[in-house]
Amino acid sequence: MSTPKLVEHFFRHEYARLVATLSRRVGVQYIEDVEDAVQSALMTALETWTIAGLPDNPPAWLFRVAHNNLMGELRRRTGRRRILEQNVKEHIGTLENGPEIFLAGEVEDDLLRMLFVCCDEAIPVESQLVLALKTLCGFEIREIALRLFASEANVYKRLGRARSRLRKLRLYPGKLTGKHYSSRLPVVHKILYLVFTEGYLSSQSEMAIRRELCDEAIRLATILAEHPAGQTPETFALLALMHLHAARMTARQDSSGALLLLEEQERALWDQQRIQVGLEWLAKSAKGDGFSRYHAEAGIAAEHCLAPSFRETRWNKVVECYALLERIAPSAIHKLNRAVAVAEWQGPAEGLAILKGFEPPTWLAGSYLWAAVLADLHRRCGNVHTANRYRDVACKLAPTPAVKELLQRRLQIGLPGGSLNLDKLESGVNRG
Amino acid sequence: MPKQKYLCIQRSQSGKSEKPSPAQMEEMYAKFHAWKEKFQKNIVDMGGKLGSGKVVTSEGATDGPFVEAKEVVGGFMIVSAESLEEAMEVVRESPGVVMPGSSVEVREIHTP
Repeated sequence: MSTPKLVEHFFRHEYARLVATLSRRVGVQYIEDVEDAVQSALMTALETWTIAGLPDNPPAWLFRVAHNNLMGELRRRTGRRRILEQNVKEHIGTLENGPEIFLAGEVEDDLLRMLFVCCDEAIPVESQLVLALKTLCGFEIREIALRLFASEANVYKRLGRARSRLRKLRLYPGKLTGKHYSSRLPVVHKILYLVFTEGYLSSQSEMAIRRELCDEAIRLATILAEHPAGQTPETFALLALMHLHAARMTARQDSSGALLLLEEQERALWDQQRIQVGLEWLAKSAKGDGFSRYHAEAGIAAEHCLAPSFRETRWNKVVECYALLERIAPSAIHKLNRAVAVAEWQGPAEGLAILKGFEPPTWLAGSYLWAAVLADLHRRCGNVHTANRYRDVACKLAPTPAVKELLQRRLQIGLPGGSLNLDKLESGVNRG
Repeated sequence: MPKQKYLCIQRSQSGKSEKPSPAQMEEMYAKFHAWKEKFQKNIVDMGGKLGSGKVVTSEGATDGPFVEAKEVVGGFMIVSAESLEEAMEVVRESPGVVMPGSSVEVREIHTP
């Protein structure tokens, strides 16, 4: 009567898997019923397994219970019994053919289909993100709110918008065509990228729980990269960039949890094995003539990972990647980052020259990053007065105490050398 | 295994309780797992959840008073221990008691 351990995140991942599989069978218009059925199957499992021990095949057990819950609920609720019966025959199948879903690859197929369903063009991107976190990662509304720094009401609203769209769609995920897959792939990339950045931008206390977002993004991107529908150079580059950033994550804070600049990080703490995995994906992404923003960003991350020290970083290569990034995905934040890299390569005056006469868009002008970079470059050029002015602005705009502390430390006048190279994802702030 | 057996009756508040998320369920499962390991030698019968039923009296059978009760008997189990104190300790650490609004009654089972 022992209760054997389950694999990590068993409940969350089974939730995602079952929601995907059952939604394929009944159609996404029933997604809320599917979610309820799965939730209560997990509850039954929790109660039963703790007392009676694990069944032989826990996923199959869960599928059976969730399937029965769902059928019961749909039969009970709908008056149009015949129509439903038809649906049942056509799409749900019978219990007997249930186990077929456990054939290798099928599960991943269902999850992947669901990912493409979440990326329906008609769903606004902030709702797609929440929908993906709910259905594909198994997070609850309050858990999503915590991870996105959003209110529960806001997450609820975003999810509601996505669901009402799905209800109208009456889509059977199994009927997505190749055309759907290829047209939605860029959105799928974007959502996975967002899930990852939300985790990566974490700081201090929330580090551990938000790190899960990075793990989830990597999990889903890996499934995508192993499926014919997702095997494109962009997918490989995205996965490379995730691994190359994740490899450096634990080194981003000191023992007290304060954020560290790239320059201050203990490079020995970087996860070399993960860097290797990242580099392998990067090599794979180099096939074909497509060069996406993910290629550019992975290229930058790779340069940092491969540099033996901050000083020995091949800043010319980093600058080159930023220039490419600016061309593919024009954004003021890329220009700002290029200026920072140029300052390392050719000196702070050259860095400032890039930004000279450049009017930042309001979202960037109102962000601490813009003020912080200017404060730093002016400080290093000896323009004390201007530097102080920007420093005060940057500190006032700092989003978290950890960032503020870092800015105050770095932007003190009279500190020797050093540069403000914030270790961040390139377009993390570019979503306002 | 200690000799004396105790019947543990779990009660919880009837009505709504917020549904745990999958992540919380994982945590609950892990806690339960750890508890079961720790008190392996004390647990005689994990018992189970109690469903609905009827009350039989000399006058016949009714649907039972428990339908109206604010506190519902949700489940039972049997543990063995050297003393009531030890039995209470087993129960106190059980994840089932930690949930707000729930309690466990521990009663010694006298057998001839």
